[in-house]
Amino acid sequence: MSGFMYEVKKIMLCQRGLFYIALVLLFGTVWLALSDNPVDIAMEQYKSEYEWYLEKVNGYCTEESSLYLEQEAERIAKAKERQNSLLENYYDGKISESEYKKESREIEKVLERQNGFEVIYQQYLYICENAGNRCFLQTNGWMGLLGKGTLNFILFLGILLIVTPVFCSEYSCQMDTLILTAREGRKSALYKLLIMIAAVLFLSLCISLIEYGFYRFKYGLPDGDYPIQSIRYFADSSKSMSLLEGYVLIGLLRMFGGVFLTILLMFISVLAKKYAVTLLTGAVSVIIPYIGLSKTSIYRLPLPLPFLLGTDFFAGDIVMSDALTGDEKIIFAEVGTVTLLTLLFVSVLLCTLAVVWILRRNSNRWLMKSGQKKRGAAFAVMFGLALAVTGCAGRGKTGSVVYNSSAGYSVPFGYDCMGYEIIQDVGNFDYSLKNTSTGETYPLARSPMFGVFSDEEEIRAFYVCPPYLYYTTSVMESYVNRVGNYNSNITKVSVVELNLNTFEEKTIFEQITNSGRSLLGIDYETGDKWKFLDFHHAFFLNDDNLFFIGDDGITKVNRYTRKTVKLEIPTNGNISFDGESIFYKNEQGVLTRYDVSSNETYTYENIVAYDFCMDEQLIYYVSRTDGGGLYSCGKDGNNKELISHIPAMSVTCDTGNIYVLSKESGEEIVLPKSH
Amino acid sequence: MTRLIKYEFYKLFCKRSILVVLILFSVMNLFKINSEFHSYSYLADGNDSRSWNSVYWQLYEDYRGEITAEKINHLLSIYQPLADATADMTASTAKDNPDMMTGNIYSDRNILEKYYVEPMEYFYHYRTYALQVAERAKENAAVYKERGQTYEARKNSVIYHLYSGRSIKAFAYEEMYNYYLNYDFSGILVLFLCLYGVVSTFVCEKETQMDMLLLTNPGGGKKTTFAKITAASLFVISVAIWFSVVDYIGFVYFFGTAEGGNLPLYAVSNFSMAAVNCNLWQYAILSAVIKAVGVWTMSMVFLLISLFGRNALVPFVADFGAALCFIITGASQSCFSNAWLKIINPYSLLANRILFGKTEFIGFAGYPVQSFQAAIIFAIIVGVISITAMMMLSKRNSYCRERRIKCLDLCTK
Repeated sequence: MSGFMYEVKKIMLCQRGLFYIALVLLFGTVWLALSDNPVDIAMEQYKSEYEWYLEKVNGYCTEESSLYLEQEAERIAKAKERQNSLLENYYDGKISESEYKKESREIEKVLERQNGFEVIYQQYLYICENAGNRCFLQTNGWMGLLGKGTLNFILFLGILLIVTPVFCSEYSCQMDTLILTAREGRKSALYKLLIMIAAVLFLSLCISLIEYGFYRFKYGLPDGDYPIQSIRYFADSSKSMSLLEGYVLIGLLRMFGGVFLTILLMFISVLAKKYAVTLLTGAVSVIIPYIGLSKTSIYRLPLPLPFLLGTDFFAGDIVMSDALTGDEKIIFAEVGTVTLLTLLFVSVLLCTLAVVWILRRNSNRWLMKSGQKKRGAAFAVMFGLALAVTGCAGRGKTGSVVYNSSAGYSVPFGYDCMGYEIIQDVGNFDYSLKNTSTGETYPLARSPMFGVFSDEEEIRAFYVCPPYLYYTTSVMESYVNRVGNYNSNITKVSVVELNLNTFEEKTIFEQITNSGRSLLGIDYETGDKWKFLDFHHAFFLNDDNLFFIGDDGITKVNRYTRKTVKLEIPTNGNISFDGESIFYKNEQGVLTRYDVSSNETYTYENIVAYDFCMDEQLIYYVSRTDGGGLYSCGKDGNNKELISHIPAMSVTCDTGNIYVLSKESGEEIVLPKSH
Repeated sequence: MTRLIKYEFYKLFCKRSILVVLILFSVMNLFKINSEFHSYSYLADGNDSRSWNSVYWQLYEDYRGEITAEKINHLLSIYQPLADATADMTASTAKDNPDMMTGNIYSDRNILEKYYVEPMEYFYHYRTYALQVAERAKENAAVYKERGQTYEARKNSVIYHLYSGRSIKAFAYEEMYNYYLNYDFSGILVLFLCLYGVVSTFVCEKETQMDMLLLTNPGGGKKTTFAKITAASLFVISVAIWFSVVDYIGFVYFFGTAEGGNLPLYAVSNFSMAAVNCNLWQYAILSAVIKAVGVWTMSMVFLLISLFGRNALVPFVADFGAALCFIITGASQSCFSNAWLKIINPYSLLANRILFGKTEFIGFAGYPVQSFQAAIIFAIIVGVISITAMMMLSKRNSYCRERRIKCLDLCTK
């Protein structure tokens, strides 16, 4: 067996190199699969609709595609308008059923892909900012692949584990001197270097390919020849390159970063001959600048870190405005091609010098150097580095209670929260619980500190499920209040469970909604997964899910896995929930039921309502087809009964009464349920 | 034993490499503090007579000390005309206006708003806010007592006692303390240095097989292990305190003042719901002690992990990975209300504003325990368990005992 093969065997088998490589690849893949979220959720959810439009406008934004999108936007807006008037005309008996059906089929045809259109229209607005270098394309795959400027910690720890023992193990058992007496002595160091560089290149290449395969499989990576500016992360980049070129270049830079770190670790290990010093230097050279320096400085240092990160070499300037003075401040200054090449040249030079030095130090002769000098050199390297561096869910006990989003939680317009009424102070907008029998009031938020010190702390919505009252709070916290590395404005939405018997309070769900955050000064993107929480105005829940009602739909959040699903439910009318199904009016005003566990939809074809509400047994609705009278029926839609023939606009109910808003007088009429 | 501890301390930690890393990290820390000042403080704009820095300190003499109606009226008499004149954003943007303190009307309004009006407004109103909290807590305590909720009643009673009487009577410069209390970088440096220091504690002797030899010594075995643990504890506590001192001195030096030390902790707006009633300088000391406890706990866990390694490689990477997990989870969970997550993570003690910035409780046997108290107790328990495990897992100096028995046998024969 040749000396090279002996070294391979020693590094890969005896020092568990192969095991660590396999471990890094395994953990890396698992982490990638677990941590990935689409950057644009709507694009993924309405993929087929979006792709239909994309086929028509794919590529650069031409005059035709621009005209097409503008016309389509107008067509959709008109169709929506026409849909509303058509519905009114039909229910008012101005047009026949066949006419209505014929026209609504046409309108539905126009609106069938409106969600996908909204996604492509947003993309169109982005492209219009600089149509010269931005194209229409599926961005989620490319954003996942290229738009993450964070360090791959698994790869970094893997390199530390694989590279450190290569020389250190020889030094720890004083084998180094023995090797130097052998004929193949000098070659041993060369073999080690070659093997480690090859191993790290292989590891980096595998990770790049796994990432490519993952995003290609999950989202697709089409149109790699489009300019890199087509994705938002590189919006203001001045580099002219395609997405695929960007991926290849970033991959190559990351591979070089891996090699640079390998050579640095080997250099330190030969210099210091100690595991601890080598590991500390390797870790410090990457982590300290990563945490301690601004991104602009990081990308100008001849260290492995900028190359390991790679992405931002091709990103454009990021400019933010100072909140107080209004001055513009550069958060990240683009790395020019000359700077990149210079940095690359300096880094390659440093690597070459280090390699030459390593080989010289392992030349086949006795070296007469004092330990002090060695240590001094090691410290000199560390000092050099330093100079470079200085620049919820608790199980709910929800029973079966009926929720109506249109009902306020105050007597007499809504539900009786176990003898309490939720009232809002006119002056400071604080919510309180008023005991309806004794008249005593208690602050709704039980924490005495809630909302006192900040106006940004507020209660957003309520849901009652005796004995619990649930409410959502929105809190904005700011840590360091000047634009800079710390972008630490946090908006947090929580769901709090208040036991109305004991007044015990528990937070059952908490989520930060900001998409761009900073952790120890490292900015990272979390996508717009939780953005809907900022815009919710009502919510309800069951044992497994939370449902947040916003202006553009209901989002279901699994309480255990935190998976979110946007439900196709219009939220312009009342939404009721009986613990199992969501009841709502569909686009045509027809009452519809959505079973939350089976995800099945059932339409009550005979119930077309202006408004509706429900209690445990019955559905009360203002019929649109029967002259606006108030009717009741069972949850299955049968046993229809007329309650009042007075034309009404809206209906709400509580435990004892039904409240109807008269269409003619505009007055509220109270009807007892027994009738 | 003291001698043994001393020897171990000298052997393990009085090394040139550690001293160099200590100096290096201290210098890096100072550079970072300097960059914090220049990045975040609007007063880092030089000493020109029209700079914010000069203008601020000129005005400071007029407003420092007890907040009185005269001072507030005087301040508003300067600020309000500027605010009115700039409200519609049509005022002159000239930067050399001789009537303006900084040369520009917007700039004058901004400096007064940011550094005088807003803080003084907060200081002035804090008493009312605290009183509101105390009153709510008192009402809550009565309600919970009525409903038989002893824990909640006790919790609200503690909140009442904590908040009643809180007020900020004097005005002072608090910006330096704001950034000092939000500074985490040195905590990471301390962790790295302690990791480097303690990871070799057991493995250096294993690498040279000195561990076997030590067992033949009467002072070897468990005694040596105990001495090593004590030496390591002394080392990490010293390092933590050293960096706390460097942080404080660094901030005072670069911000050019230690003003504001006598303000209560809750004078810093991020600490409006502070868990303790103390002054900022007292909190600086408390914070140093708490940091030391956190670093000690993490180091004891590092030490326990390193006990199983033959060389520094796997223990270092394992400890480093564990530290990264603690830091990332600790930093990302810091703004959530689940107090337990903060209590069990020793990183909360390092960046202790996570614990002291909010009044949070956990229930223990029906009694409310503040999250910082629970975190300290938990950290000490984890540290002690780690030490006990190390003592139990370390070898006895059996060789020596056997030899002694043999010697005794020979003598008796």
